[in-house]
This record gives sequence, structure tokens and C-alpha cells, in this order.
Amino acid sequence: MRLSLEPIWPFNRPPRNPGALAVALSLTLTAFPAFSADVSPIERTPSAQTGKALYEQACAFCHGIGGQGDGPDAFYLGPYSAPRPRDLTSGEYKFRSTPSGSLPTDDDLLRTLTVGIPGYMPSFQSLSDMDRRHLVAYLKTLSPAFQEGKAQSLPLPPGPIPATPESIQQGRALYVALDCMTCHSEQVNSPEGLLTQGKLKDRRGLTLHPRDLTNLTSYKNGHSPSDIARTILTGLDGSPMASYLEALEPHPEQVWHLVNYILSLSSP
Amino acid sequence: MIHPPPFSPTFLVPFLFLSTLIGGTTFFWTSQAQAIPAFSRKYQVTCTVCHTRVPRLNRTGERFLENGYQLPGTEDGGSTSKRKLGDVTLDEVTHYLGVRLRGTPLRTFHSDTHHAGNSKNQTEFTFPEIFSLFAAGTATNNVGFFVELESNMEESATAVERGFVTFNNLGKHDLAHLRVGRFDPSAFSSYATLRQHFEVIPEDTVDNGSFLPPTINRISLTPAAFSAKFSGLYDRRGNAILPTATSLFHAASEIGIDLHGRPFGNWFFYQVGVLNGANEPFGDSNKAKDWYVHTRIDLAQSNYFSANISGFGYFGRHNAKVQNMTDVNWNRYGLSANFRYHMIDLYGAFAIDRITNLPDALKASFDRTATGLTVEANVLATDRFLIGLRYDHLDAGGDRTLRTSHSLIALMAKFYWRSNIAFFLRDDVNLRDAQGGRNPERNFRNAFVIGADLAF
Ligand code: HEC
Ligand code: HEC
Repeated sequence: MRLSLEPIWPFNRPPRNPGALAVALSLTLTAFPAFSADVSPIERTPSAQTGKALYEQACAFCHGIGGQGDGPDAFYLGPYSAPRPRDLTSGEYKFRSTPSGSLPTDDDLLRTLTVGIPGYMPSFQSLSDMDRRHLVAYLKTLSPAFQEGKAQSLPLPPGPIPATPESIQQGRALYVALDCMTCHSEQVNSPEGLLTQGKLKDRRGLTLHPRDLTNLTSYKNGHSPSDIARTILTGLDGSPMASYLEALEPHPEQVWHLVNYILSLSSP
Repeated sequence: MIHPPPFSPTFLVPFLFLSTLIGGTTFFWTSQAQAIPAFSRKYQVTCTVCHTRVPRLNRTGERFLENGYQLPGTEDGGSTSKRKLGDVTLDEVTHYLGVRLRGTPLRTFHSDTHHAGNSKNQTEFTFPEIFSLFAAGTATNNVGFFVELESNMEESATAVERGFVTFNNLGKHDLAHLRVGRFDPSAFSSYATLRQHFEVIPEDTVDNGSFLPPTINRISLTPAAFSAKFSGLYDRRGNAILPTATSLFHAASEIGIDLHGRPFGNWFFYQVGVLNGANEPFGDSNKAKDWYVHTRIDLAQSNYFSANISGFGYFGRHNAKVQNMTDVNWNRYGLSANFRYHMIDLYGAFAIDRITNLPDALKASFDRTATGLTVEANVLATDRFLIGLRYDHLDAGGDRTLRTSHSLIALMAKFYWRSNIAFFLRDDVNLRDAQGGRNPERNFRNAFVIGADLAF
């Protein structure tokens, strides 16, 4: 009989920090090996294999080992209302710089991992940049859609523009004209908003509350002017928050007025 | 000449607590649109990222704990939410300080004092009795800390409940983590002592002096698997150890050192530890040490399903005394398991306690084996409403004239106003017949409590 350690050693990623073994169990505070130490030159291209091992340790409890958003913790995070962890096999993503209905770019995925999703998914900034790229490489193996082509970022119209009272006024007019308050009722106190309260559903059919636009830190897709412009133009796919790219044609630069109005809601 | 009265420290402690409580709560209350405790604030996520429902941990929470308060799969201790200022790393106070206030302001007990039929009802109104102040987080990469200062108004005691330092990811990620200090040994088990939806409801006893059994007016309601199970056991100072006291592997805290890790990936967990284990509230008069081993297998990571089963052995050395003041070795072996599927969280533990080294003179009058079984089910009926059911069976050991077995069932409805603020109703019922005389386990018939658990 041959004994081999192979099958019970599931770390199929190369030891990322071989030096760590040398200092094993040394208890001096300074000797603690950094998990994600500098990347060796061989590791310059992201490896889905390495990403998989990281995914199993850091993401699978929520997103499920197969990526279907059905990990052991997924139900308790969003038992009867959204959001549950994303089904990463579906190819549908909320936080994109690309047009509605298309895949995110690598940088979009990297941004989600780096900043996290306020409220629901922690930031993984502490992983090295390379580790996050390994993860992105692995995420793209989970959905076949990624093999079919590369998505292009939608260029934002030139901006942002200064938040003058006129611009905010124009933004408010757009906000009303585009019916934003049907869902984001609180800001304009419109009775229509109340009609959608508790009735909006996400792709899984779970109740999803529209964002309270006065609470900037709760924005999932960032709250800088460009982040907000990106949200409005590309939409959050899989949620009722649609893309307003077409609605704003032929003057997409008007999005900056909307941005100024939204930002004015939270300024004291 | 008249000196101003010195500022007495006995005065200072309650004063500090009160001001922290009031200051702390108002501060956290007003500074957060949605009040969230320290780790939640640090990572800007809701409580349910780490808890099924507070205080029970989900898998992410369990791994965060194992990893020394660092996100699973990372070693983020040095960086997350901290600012570098030259050589100094600064962290926001609210990112590592938290407070918790819990208790059962209304309790009604029903008991049969002497014979079946001679019943007594007792209703108590109290203020929430347990206030804890936590400081926990990471000092730097892979060095974590946890301090819990607890003020228990019922026991009129303020003490460091737990306080330890962790050294994590020694050698390789998840290979070995070390805890040193005063900690809860069962923290990583399928059913951890300090993560209960059914909080311990304290006993009502009268102390009769060293090496004398106390008069138990009312037993405390603790999981039978975790409890001491024996009548007629004493700590090294001669204080009685109540049969319902949580102890050994399931002690709320003991001083020692503990090593745990997952060397083969997510599925296998090991833990070994050495404890002072003398069942003393403070001090260490016992030069022999207790030790324990615990392994756990985790299965399934998709379909909203997960399961784990763990086995442990706890080996005591001179960790208790019997009534003729001789030392005995008190051991515990057991299994615990947890299954989670969608809204159902089912868990339980079975433990066998054995006393060895018993003096020959006591062998006839002292039953050296006792067992306890606890099974609990929680169902999350809506986002905010949790139903809990627990069954306890204690097959008691120890002094044959005193020991009494019991079987209890408890039902609870818990409402989460916020993910960190819960109110509950609970009813505990004795399933066995009432018996006359000194039989606190059987005299107890029913308890109904209303309580609250708030963390900021
Ligand atoms: C605590 C649970 C949790 C953990 C751990 C977690 N996620 Fe998520 N993740 C979520 C939730 C919840 C969402 C959906 C949020 C929403 O729809 O608003 C999400 C969404 C995502 C998305 C979709 C973003 C988009 O544009 O739609 C990606 C990609 C993702 N997670 C990757 C990861 C990776 C990679 C890891 C591990 C490094 C990870 N997640 C760890 C809970 C988690
Ligand atoms: C049909 C309902 C609906 C309408 C109409 C709507 N929104 Fe939204 N909006 C939502 C929902 C739901 C969310 C939250 C999505 C989520 O959490 O995944 C959201 C989120 C947002 C966010 C925050 C994104 C983030 O980063 O979290 C912004 C900004 C926003 N909407 C702006 C607008 C503007 C501007 C309009 C009008 C042009 C508008 N919305 C119209 C439903 C709507």
C-alpha cells in the first residue's frame, strides 16, 4: 500500500508564502508572516486555480461552493428580503461600468471586491491586489457568459459639473420628469412612492427596498459623483433600478445635474 | 484641618460603569443611523453577515472567530479601517468597543414546594441585569484581542469575564491559531456555551457553608449537556458546584492556552487546550492542569445547507473535591452537531461526565457517571421573528441522596426589532412528575420570562 498525503491536502494553490513555514510557530510579534506577502514574479498573471482556493476560504460561505449564491450563510443574510449573495453563475451583475444587460469588466469586479458592498459584503482590500485578481479570474470561470466576449465600459459624459443652484434645480426637474420618486419616494414626499413600498422585488423575487438617497454611505455602488452617474446610466441589473441611458439621450451629460441634485439631498 | 474624603475606588467602579452605559448607549445610538456593534461598524456590514441571528454565529462568524477577528481567508488585522500615522496605527474607538445589555426583567416561577399540590408562584421584576463592555479586535496582522468586562447586578459582581490574546495563522494560513488568557473553551464547537438564544436563567440558592450542600430553592436553567450534572461536588475552596453550573469544556471562561486550526481546508477542525480548570472563580490553587481535545468535521457548503459534527474529550486532574475534601478527577466526553437548512437551525450536544479517583469510602454513595442531552431547534419564521425550542435531559450523578434527574422543555419567541436589539418571551416546563421534599429539580414546574438583549 502506498500512503500519500495528496488527497487530503486540498490546498492546490502554491504556498503563497514559503518563508512562512520557516518561521512556523515562532511567537515573536514581528515574525508573523503576512498571508498575502509580495507576489513572486511567476505569479504575474492571475490564476483561476489560485482564485478558487481563495474563494473557498473567503467567499463560499455566502456565495456557495458552486457560486450559486446558496452558501450556508446565504439564507440568513437575506431570509425573506433582498439581498442574498449573488448567484455568480448567472452572469448578471449590478455594479458595472458597462451597459445594462452586459457583463462587468475585470476592473468592475475588482472594484466590488476592493470596496465591498456596504451593509452586505465586507471589503476584501486586505487581500493583495494580486489575490483579488486571482479571485476575479476565478469568478469569470463560474459563468459561461464570460467566454463569449468582453464587455466595454460605457464612457461617462464629460464631468462632473459644479453643483450650482441652477444645476441642482435642473437635476430636480429631471428627477421628477424621469419619475425617480415612484420608488425613491422619501425625497419628494410624493404619494406615488408609497405605492411601491415593499412591492419592489429583485431577480430572486425577494423584496428589495429602494435606496434612501439621503444616506450616502449606504450606496452600494459608491457615492462619488462619477459613481452615482455610473449607477444612473448603467442601472443595477437584477434589481428594479433600471438604466437611464436611453431616457437621457440625446443629452447624457444631463446626468450630472441629476447627480448634483442627489448629492444635495444629503448635504446639511 | 479637614481633609476632603478620599475618592473611594468602590464608589468609582459602579460610577464608571453607569457613565459608560449611559454615555456609551447614547453615543452609539445617536452616531449610527442604524445602531450596529463594533465589528459591524468596522466592516460596514449588518450583524447577519456573521450571525444567523445574534448571538448565534453563522459559518462566516465562526471562521472570523477562529481567525482571531479577521475575515475568513484573510489576514486583515493590520489594515482594515485603520489609519497609519507614522509608526502608529490608529483605529476608531467605535470599531473595537461595544456594549451589551441583557436580562429578563419579568420572571414568573411556579413550583411545588413540598408535595404535589402544594404549589407556589413567584413573580419578580428586575432591571436588565447583565451589562457587558467589550473591547475586541486586532492589534496588528494576526494578533487579536478580546476583553469583556461584565457587571452582573444579580450576582452583584463586576469582573473580567473573558480576556485573551490570539496569535493567528502560525506557520501557514489556518494551520494554527493560539489563544492565551481567560477564554471560553467551547467557542468553536457546534454548540457553544456563550452563543445561546436561551440565556441561562440563574438559580436561587442558600449557601450552607464549606463542603455542605447548599439549599437549592430553584435550579438554574442551563443546557443539561453543559452542566455539572453531579450533586455533592465542590471546588477547591469548598464552594458547592451546582449540578446545573456550566463547567469543564463548557465553562463560560477558564484560564489557559488553546491551539486550533484547519490544516486540511474547510472540512476538518482541531483544537487542543490546557486549562487551570480548578473550577475556581479566581486564583490557581491547583498545580495539576486540565486538558482537552476537540475535533470537528464540517460538511456541505451549498444549497443553503451545512452540517457539522464534533467530538471532544475533557480530562480533569484534581479539578474538584467531594464532601470528605479529597480531590477527584472530573472528566467529560461528548458529541455535538449542527444542521442548517434554509430557515432551520438544529443543534445539540450529548455529554458523559465521569469522576475518577473517588475515595473507596464514597463509592457506594456516589454515582460516578452522569449524562446530559440538549437539543435545540430554531426557526426563522420571518426576517425578524425567531422561534426556539429546546429539550434538556439530565441523568444526574453524584451523591445518591441528593441527585435528581430532570427533563425540561423550553419554548421561545424572539423578536428582532433591529438585528442588534431583540425582545423575547420564553417558557420552560418540567416534563417529570413533581416530588416532595428537597427536590429542586422536580419541584420546579414552570418558568415564564420576558427579556431583552441589546448590543451597541
Ligand atoms: C457575508 C457574505 C458574503 C461574502 C463573505 C462574500 N460576498 Fe459577495 N456578495 C454578497 C452579497 C449579499 C451580494 C449581493 C449584494 C446585492 O445584491 O446588493 C454579493 C455580491 C457579490 C458580487 C456581485 C457584484 C455585482 O456586481 O453584482 C460579486 C462579484 C461577489 N459578491 C464576489 C465575492 C467574492 C469574490 C467574495 C470573496 C472574496 C465574496 N463575494 C464574499 C455577500 C458576500
Ligand atoms: C422602479 C423603481 C426605481 C426607480 C423608478 C428608480 N430607482 Fe433608483 N433604486 C431602486 C432600487 C430598488 C434601488 C436599490 C437597488 C439595490 O439595493 O440593489 C435603487 C438605487 C438607487 C441608487 C443607489 C445605488 C447604490 O449605489 O446603492 C441611486 C443613486 C438611484 N437609485 C437613483 C435613481 C434615480 C436618479 C432615479 C431616476 C432617474 C431612480 N433611481 C429611479 C429603484 C428605483
